[in-house]
Amino acid sequence: MTKAGDWQSYRRVLLPPVKDLHHLDVYRAQGGYEALRTVLNDWKPEEVTAEVKRSGLRGRGGAGFPTGLKWSFMPPVKPDVPRYLCCNADESEPGTFKDRQLMEYNPHLLFEGILIAGYAMSLKACYLYVRGEFSSWITLLQNELSKVYDAKLAGSNILGTDYSMDIIMHKGAGAYICGEETSLMESLEGKRAYPRIKPPFPAQSGIWGYPTTINNVETLACAPIIIDRGGDWFAGVGAKKHPGPVLYGISGHVNRPGVYEYPTGMLITDLLEIAGGMRDNKKLKALVPGGASVPVLRADMIDGVTMDVESLHEAGSMMGTAGMLFLDEDTDMVAFLRRVARFYHHESCGQCTPCREGTGWMENLITRIDDGEGNLRDLDLLLDLCDQMEGRTVCALADAAAWPVRNTIKRFRGDFERRCRPSAWAVNT
Amino acid sequence: MPKVIIDGEEYAFEGRPSLLQFCLDQGIELPHFCYHPSMSVPANCRQCLVDVGAPVRDRETGEFQLDENGEKVIRYFPKLQTSCSHVISDGQVVHTARSSEKVERAQRDTMEFLLINHPLDCPICDQAGHCPLQIQAYKYGPEGSRFEFRKVHKPKKVKLGPNVVLDAERCINCTRCVRFTDEISRSGQLTIIERGVKNYPITPPGVSFDEPYSMNVIDLCPVGALTSADFRFQARIWEMASAPSITTTNAKGSNCYLWVRDNLVMRMTPRPNPDVNEFWLPDEDRLTYRWFNENRPCGPAALNKSGACSWDEAIQETAEILKNTGKETLFLASARATVEDNWMLMQLAEAVGRQVAGYIPHIEPGHGDGWLRTDDRAPNSQGCARLGLQPIDVKLWSARLEAGEVQGLYVLEDDPVAAGLCSAQALDNVQVILHYYNTTNQTLPSANVALPAATVAETIGTFVNEAGRAQRVVPAKAIKGVNRTLMMQMGVSRADQHGTPFDRWHNESHYVDCKPSWEIIPLVARNLGVEIAAQSPKKVMQHISASIPAFTGATYKAMGLSGVTLSPIETEVAS
Ligand SMILES: Cc1cc2nc3c(=O)[nH]c(=O)nc-3n(C[C@H](O)[C@H](O)[C@H](O)COP(=O)(O)O)c2cc1C
Ligand code: SF4
Ligand code: SF4
Ligand code: FES
Repeated sequence: MTKAGDWQSYRRVLLPPVKDLHHLDVYRAQGGYEALRTVLNDWKPEEVTAEVKRSGLRGRGGAGFPTGLKWSFMPPVKPDVPRYLCCNADESEPGTFKDRQLMEYNPHLLFEGILIAGYAMSLKACYLYVRGEFSSWITLLQNELSKVYDAKLAGSNILGTDYSMDIIMHKGAGAYICGEETSLMESLEGKRAYPRIKPPFPAQSGIWGYPTTINNVETLACAPIIIDRGGDWFAGVGAKKHPGPVLYGISGHVNRPGVYEYPTGMLITDLLEIAGGMRDNKKLKALVPGGASVPVLRADMIDGVTMDVESLHEAGSMMGTAGMLFLDEDTDMVAFLRRVARFYHHESCGQCTPCREGTGWMENLITRIDDGEGNLRDLDLLLDLCDQMEGRTVCALADAAAWPVRNTIKRFRGDFERRCRPSAWAVNT
Repeated sequence: MPKVIIDGEEYAFEGRPSLLQFCLDQGIELPHFCYHPSMSVPANCRQCLVDVGAPVRDRETGEFQLDENGEKVIRYFPKLQTSCSHVISDGQVVHTARSSEKVERAQRDTMEFLLINHPLDCPICDQAGHCPLQIQAYKYGPEGSRFEFRKVHKPKKVKLGPNVVLDAERCINCTRCVRFTDEISRSGQLTIIERGVKNYPITPPGVSFDEPYSMNVIDLCPVGALTSADFRFQARIWEMASAPSITTTNAKGSNCYLWVRDNLVMRMTPRPNPDVNEFWLPDEDRLTYRWFNENRPCGPAALNKSGACSWDEAIQETAEILKNTGKETLFLASARATVEDNWMLMQLAEAVGRQVAGYIPHIEPGHGDGWLRTDDRAPNSQGCARLGLQPIDVKLWSARLEAGEVQGLYVLEDDPVAAGLCSAQALDNVQVILHYYNTTNQTLPSANVALPAATVAETIGTFVNEAGRAQRVVPAKAIKGVNRTLMMQMGVSRADQHGTPFDRWHNESHYVDCKPSWEIIPLVARNLGVEIAAQSPKKVMQHISASIPAFTGATYKAMGLSGVTLSPIETEVAS
C-alpha cells in the first residue's frame, strides 16, 4: 500500500511530463512504438495475452474486469470470420474525465496499445468509438492517426512485418448509453443505441455479430507499458489485486481539481492532499470515489480506505472509473442526488420498463423532496424503487441509477428527512 | 429426454426451446409483452421474469451434489431471468409467480412501472377488453398506484400512414411494431425516437407508413397505441362475435377472423396458421370487410317481373330460361365461389345437357409479392382446377359474345362485364342469369334473373389456395332467409374470444336477402325436374373427396379450421 509521502517519488507513465508528446515524432523519440515493434517481431500473440494476464491489469472503463482474461475469451481464429477490437472512448459519466486527457496528451500510447491488443487477439481492425461531443479531440486523434498510417505503423504490413491492422475512428451518437459496450456496438452498426441482452457476449457475437473485444481507452493505453516494462513490473505497482498506474479524475470542492496519475491503492486521504485539500478549508462531507454511479461514502467512512476494488468494496463502494468527487460540508445532499437522478433519467435509453419508468419517478420524488414538498414515506418509496430496478434490466444503467439513490439516502438519511414534511403523527419513544 | 422442473412439476422437452415459449406451449401462463414467437427477442419489457436454478455438479466427480436430505443442490442465477430470452437446459429448476414470492413481487413491480405513465384510457380505448396490459395488470399488477406525479405526455392521434393511427402515450415501448417492419415486412418504416421515458415509435421524417402489411402492427401492439384508422372507435371488442374465416382477395387463402356486430362485419384480423399466413394479413385483405355490408342486394329480381320478385319466382324464371336456351347457354364457374357451389353448377349444366365452360381468370400480373399477395385475385382457382374446370379462353369467348353467338349466359358469383369478357351492350340480347354479391356488379343491369348469393362471410364451403390447401369457411353473419344448415352452423361457428359468441344486436335491415348458391342451384334443378343428390355443403364435399382424386382427404372433418394440404395435381391453373 502506498503510504503518505511515497507518491511524491512516483514517475508517470500514462501521462509522462513530456512536452508535445502528442506529436508522433516526440512520442517516437521517447521510445514510442518500440513495444509494438518488439511484439510484432519477437512475440507470439498468445504471449502478449499471457503477459497482460500476468500484469493483473483490470479494465478501467468501470467494471474492472481482468483484461488478459477478457482477451482470452476470443474464440480461435477462423480464416473467414472477421473479428474486431473496439476501443470505448465514449467517456460520459459525470465525474469521469480521464480518457479525454489521455487522448489529448498521449494519443499515440492509445494507438500503440490498440495495435498491440489487436496483435494479441489476431485481428485486423479496431473501431475507436469516440464520444461525439469531443470534437476537438477527434480532430486531434484523426491528424495523429493519419501520421501513424504514413509512418507505416498502422495499416498493411506494419513496421515491415506481415501483420496488418486498421484503426477506424467513429464519432459517437451523443448519449451516455452509447458507452455501454453492447449499445456502443449497435450504435456503431448505425442503429439506435439499445443495449443487447447477454448472452451472447461480445466475444461470441459483437460488432456485426462477429467476435469482438471491447476495452476502455485507459485499459488499452496500459498495454505498451506492460510490454515495455514487463507484466511483473506492472503487477508490482499499487494494490496487489488491482495493480497498475491509474488516472484519478478528481473533482468537486478541492483546491486543485484535475486528472492525476498515480498507482492504484492510494489512500483517499493522500489523493485529497494531492488535490490541494478541501477548498476554503472546509470539512469533507462525502466522496463519490468512482464516477456518479458508485455508492457515495460519508467522510467518516474513508479513513484508511485505498483506491482499489478490495478496499473500496469493504468500505461499501466501488472503484468504477476512479473519477473522485469530493463534496464539502456545505453540500446539500438532496440537491446532489437530484442532479444525479436527473442525469440517469435523461440518459436511460428507455428500452427496459424498470429503468425507463423508474429513473423518471425517482427524479420526480427527489425533486419534490428538494422543493420541500416531499413526505417521509417518499424516502421509503425511493428505496423500494431501487429494489424494483436493480438487477432487473438489460444493462447496468438501471443499477447505476439505483445505487447512488439507495446509498445517498441510507448514508445521509438525516439530510433527507429534514427536508421532508414532518409525518402526521409524531413518533413517541 | 432432458427435463425441466417448473413450479415443482417435471416436464420433458426437446431441442433448445425458450423458457417462455415452452411454458406457453404447456399451458403455463407467464405474463409477457415484448416477446413474439416470430420475431427477435429483445427482452425489454422485463415482465416475464422468473427464478431459474440448476443442479450443482461436483467439479471432480461430475456427480450432482446432494444436500443432507439427498436432494440435488440447486444453485440459482443471481438475478431473475427473463424467460423469453432464457434457453432451457436439462435439469433446470424454474419458479414462476406460482411458486415464488420473489418472482411474484418482481412481476408486480414491473407492472407498476408499466402503468405509471400509461393513460387511464381504457374506457375509450379500442384495445380494452382484449388488452394484454389490461388483462395482465388485473392478474399480476399491484392494487392502485403509488405514482403521484404528472404522467409523461406524448403525441396522440398521429396518423402514421393511411391505415394506422398512433397514440404514443399508450405505447409501452415493447418495440414489436418496429421489429415487425424491420424483420418481417422489412419495410423499415418505423423506428423509436426520443430517449428514455419519452420514447415512442414513429416513421422517419418524410416517410408514410404505407407498406402493404402495415396493419399487422395493430394486432401486434399489446396495448391500444396503434389503432386502425378505419376501425378505431367503431365498436367495443365485447360487442362483437368473431368467426374463423379466410380472405378471398387473392389465392393465398390467408386465415382470418371476421368480427361481427349487429350482423355487420366490423373488421378483419389475422387468424394464425403456421402453414398459410403465420400471424399476418395484408392490408388489402383486411380492408375488404366493408364489402360484406355495403351495396348488398335486397332480394332477387327478374327482368320479366320488371324488377324485384320473390325467390320462388326468380327460381322458376331461371328454370324457364334454362329450359328454353339451356343447350345454348354458356355456363361460367367461378374462382370466387366455393368448391361446393362450383360443383353444384356443374350438376346443373349437366341437367340441361351442357358442360361448364370454365371460369373467368382474375390474374393481375405483378400484384403478387411472394408472400401473402398473389397475382391471382381470386381465392379458388385451384379448387376449380381440381374439379376439372379450366380458365376460359377470354379472347375467344369475348369475340363470340360480342358477335352475338351466345344466347344464354349463366354466371356463378362473378362479373363478366367488369372482368372485360364482354361489354354490357353485348349482353342486350343474351339471357343472363347472374349469381352476385354486390349491387356494384357491372353485369347486374344486363341480368334477366339476378340471384343474390351469400358471400364468404355468410356461407359454408371450401376454397383451395394456390398451394393446394383446402380450407373451409363457416358463416360469420346471418342472412335473411331460413337456411337450416347455415343456422345450425352459426350456432357453433363463432368463437367466444372476448365477449360473446352471439350477436346481441338485431337490426332487421342488416340481414341481407341472399342465399348461398348451393341452396339456389338445387332449387333450380328441381324446377327442371332434376334432383341433385348431395345438398348440404358437407355432403357435397364428402361426395367430392370420395369421387374426385384431386380432392382425396378433403372432408370437413379433416379440414377442421386450419385446412388440409391436398396432393399436387397436374392441371392448368390460371396464370
Ligand atoms: C450505462 C453504461 C455506460 C458506460 N459508459 C462507458 C464509457 O463511457 N466508457 C467506457 O470505457 N466504459 C463505459 N461503460 C463500461 C462498458 O460497458 C465496458 O464495461 C467497458 O468499456 C469495458 O472496458 P474495460 O474492460 O477496458 O473496462 C459503461 C457501462 C454502462 C453500463
Ligand atoms: S437498463 Fe436502462 S439504459 Fe440499460 S438497456 Fe435498460 S432501459 Fe436502456
Ligand atoms: S406502439 Fe405498441 S407495438 Fe409499438 S412499441 Fe409501442 S406498445 Fe409496442
Ligand atoms: S417478454 Fe420477456 S422481457 Fe418482454
